[in-house]
Amino acid sequence: MAGTPVRYWAAGAGDLVVILDNGGWGASQLQEALAGGYRVVRLELAELTTAVAGGEPSNTQQVADLTALAVAGLTGEKYTLIGVADSAAVALWQALRAPDSVDALVLISPSIVLPTGEAHQGVHDAEAVSRLGDVACATLVVFGLNDRTVAPEAASVYKESIQNCNISFVYDAARDIMADRPEALIGAVADFVERRETFIVGRGSGLINP
Amino acid sequence: MKASYLGAMGYSQRHQFPTNWPIPPAYHDPETSVRSYQEGMDECEFAEELGFDWVSFSEHHYSGRIATGTPAVMAAAVAERCKRVKIAMLGQLLPLNNPIRCAEELGLLDNLTNGRLIIGFLRGTPNEDQTYGVNPAEGRGRLFEGMDLILKALTEPQPFSWEGRYHQYRTVAVWPPPVQQPLPPVIVATRSDDTVRYAAEHRLGLGVSFVPAERMAAITRKYFQWCEEAGWQPEPDQVVFRGSIYLAETDKQAEDWLAARTGSGPAPGGIAMSPGVSRAVDAAREIEGSSLRAGVAGSPQGDVVGVAGRLNFMGSPDTVVKQIKQFRDEAGAGVVDLFFQQPGVEHREVMREIDLFGREVLPRIREF
Repeated sequence: MAGTPVRYWAAGAGDLVVILDNGGWGASQLQEALAGGYRVVRLELAELTTAVAGGEPSNTQQVADLTALAVAGLTGEKYTLIGVADSAAVALWQALRAPDSVDALVLISPSIVLPTGEAHQGVHDAEAVSRLGDVACATLVVFGLNDRTVAPEAASVYKESIQNCNISFVYDAARDIMADRPEALIGAVADFVERRETFIVGRGSGLINP
Repeated sequence: MKASYLGAMGYSQRHQFPTNWPIPPAYHDPETSVRSYQEGMDECEFAEELGFDWVSFSEHHYSGRIATGTPAVMAAAVAERCKRVKIAMLGQLLPLNNPIRCAEELGLLDNLTNGRLIIGFLRGTPNEDQTYGVNPAEGRGRLFEGMDLILKALTEPQPFSWEGRYHQYRTVAVWPPPVQQPLPPVIVATRSDDTVRYAAEHRLGLGVSFVPAERMAAITRKYFQWCEEAGWQPEPDQVVFRGSIYLAETDKQAEDWLAARTGSGPAPGGIAMSPGVSRAVDAAREIEGSSLRAGVAGSPQGDVVGVAGRLNFMGSPDTVVKQIKQFRDEAGAGVVDLFFQQPGVEHREVMREIDLFGREVLPRIREF
């Protein structure tokens, strides 16, 4: 698949953040928000997936290899990788297959595993589920509390399986968190990108009258 | 039907209080206060002995009339005395509190009582927003988020973070979780449509306070309909009415007591605010689309909020049985949570009422 064209958008300066964009969930908004402090590259997955599939059901691992290759072609530095909904499975495989490059992983509304621990029926990637425990980097998994496509109870499976994993619930948000509570999602993701697992340490001031 | 005793723990000299809220701490006498709590716990114990099913506690602030600002503390103390009754936290005022702290208290109480806890979610009477400086216009939003957060905190098996509108916690891992799995029974106390709908959609019970039977019936009709739409049917224990009561041997005795009360203090169960504060709270709550006026009865000293200016149950055992049956028949109530500590009714009189209720009323309402 070498030579496959990959469309991407880059913005900002600083440490690298890569967003896997499969369209339709406000990836550009997230990119714009993060670009204030980071160099953010947003890779478009649709054409890539089609190219890999060649008319056959797409192979997530192959797509992940290509996205890893594409990022490596842009820069050799480590990066934070963000996958949303269906692209979360690609992000997961990229973290597994390019562990030296992916420094932190953010999975937003991921449709990989169900609360029962079984593979999500839309992805059918039992191998990905079985490999969750091999994710070595700091990971944040975010669910909208009102997600009706993948019950947010699935978050527990990630937490139980991935050694360095934080799970986060966004109140009053369904599956498309960027549409429902963009400020909450951006706040949590930006804080995690900056501080990794230490984002749980409070920094806000309660001081009223200094 | 089942009966619940509201452990109000009223200060015995509450009849000497001014009518307005808050009650100045200057009225507090330590000896009287200690005795009042002991008497209140004696009443709970006696209610259990006489066959009451629940003992309930309710968060109210800055008032010796219902003197349980920290209901979990009171519930824990009573739970050590009462070993059979359900301990009903009806409930914590969610807009005022840290929901995680509430969840921790509830989890601990369910463990201390070996699974006898009943949870209640409350918004609170309008005066209480001022207790911790909460903007009354945010009360409803805080209530909804608080309910969702507590339910999540009590059921999520792994540590999690919460990105809310009013609350942000990056590490939540409530310990101990409840003994009752997946959750203790939960009652949402409200009269508002959106909150009633929340209870129905989340398969939670409903509590209604201090309204006539026909008004409760109008509320529960919607609740039952929304429950059906959500695909379930509540059990009788999930529909609770909290009402004030004065029980006497005869109707005449009860009427004489009420006549003696008229003009000698606040309406039974009332909470008064100064008119200016009342107007400001009303204006703030209007912003979020609810009218305080619907739950207010006027008084010369200010507005009495939260209850109508009359008792829900009053009279002889025969009369009170009929009154309670009306709530069962018309509104579908399965539990009555009873506030006995009316103004001017001393401990000995409350004990007499509990005794009379246990002997003459409780066996009959059980048949409904």
